[in-house]
Amino acid sequence: MKELIAYIAKALVDKPEEVGVTEIEGEQTSVIELKVAKEDLGKVIGKQGRTARAMRTILSAASTKINKRSVLEILE
Amino acid sequence: MTQAIEFQAKNTEEAIQLACSELHVSTDEMEIEIIEPGSAGIFGLVGGKKAKIRVKLIQKTSETHHADYGLAIAKETLEKILELIPMEDTTVKADIAGGRAVLTIEGDSSGLLIGRKGKTLDAIQFIVNRIANKNLEKRIHVVIDSENYRQRRRDSLIQTSLKMGDKAKKIGRPVTTNLLNPHDRRIVHLALREDEELNTKSIGKDGTLKKVIITPRRFNDQRPSRI
Repeated sequence: MKELIAYIAKALVDKPEEVGVTEIEGEQTSVIELKVAKEDLGKVIGKQGRTARAMRTILSAASTKINKRSVLEILE
Repeated sequence: MTQAIEFQAKNTEEAIQLACSELHVSTDEMEIEIIEPGSAGIFGLVGGKKAKIRVKLIQKTSETHHADYGLAIAKETLEKILELIPMEDTTVKADIAGGRAVLTIEGDSSGLLIGRKGKTLDAIQFIVNRIANKNLEKRIHVVIDSENYRQRRRDSLIQTSLKMGDKAKKIGRPVTTNLLNPHDRRIVHLALREDEELNTKSIGKDGTLKKVIITPRRFNDQRPSRI
């Protein structure tokens, strides 16, 4: 899950070297925290949160496959 | 060169690699059709089936070069996302059709990549568009399809639109659709455009999701319409 979000985020931003993803695994739910450079924040969130929403949708589809739930949090 | 050549190997990936090295081209310079996906059999010993692919070379011209490049980036991005989900046994077919880059995912029989009302497919399409267009001067429009979903969705939307149009005419009052994305709304508007007894209009505040209100033309009720 972590790699999936890291790949997408790095491809979207201008400073891929500043992308950091951590995964906090719970029994059923994982929390994935995404950190990007301040000026790239808009790139991973998108207009009206569209990009963030799309990433969450892909993430939940990927989680369904392994019968888990994942939550994406974008850190400021 | 338009002649198709067949290749066989243990699995499709190997067959594609073989095709690349034999023909001295990269994967984006050829059209690959999978004839037999191949299977490993039990422990790779019994009942293994070879994968078979058919390859056609795509001839490049300078005009199509930009689109080809965009298509290649989009294809690579989608393949990477599928690999990380991970979706085993899926392959991506790339084509340029009507000025659009059309990527077709093959091998997801579960419908996982489509999601409820195409939500997942639309999300993947949005992200791939974003990534592909980040490095391109001229925008390309990427369409992603799986299990022929786009056509099926289109057909069912047209059917629903016609039904709702009939209902509006019958009851003499406006009928409203569910929240739809711009692409789906376009299908509704176009489906009813020819019908002179009906008007269609998108309503909704902001955001990409809006409803379409189908109004019979003779309807001139002054009361505010129900939404």
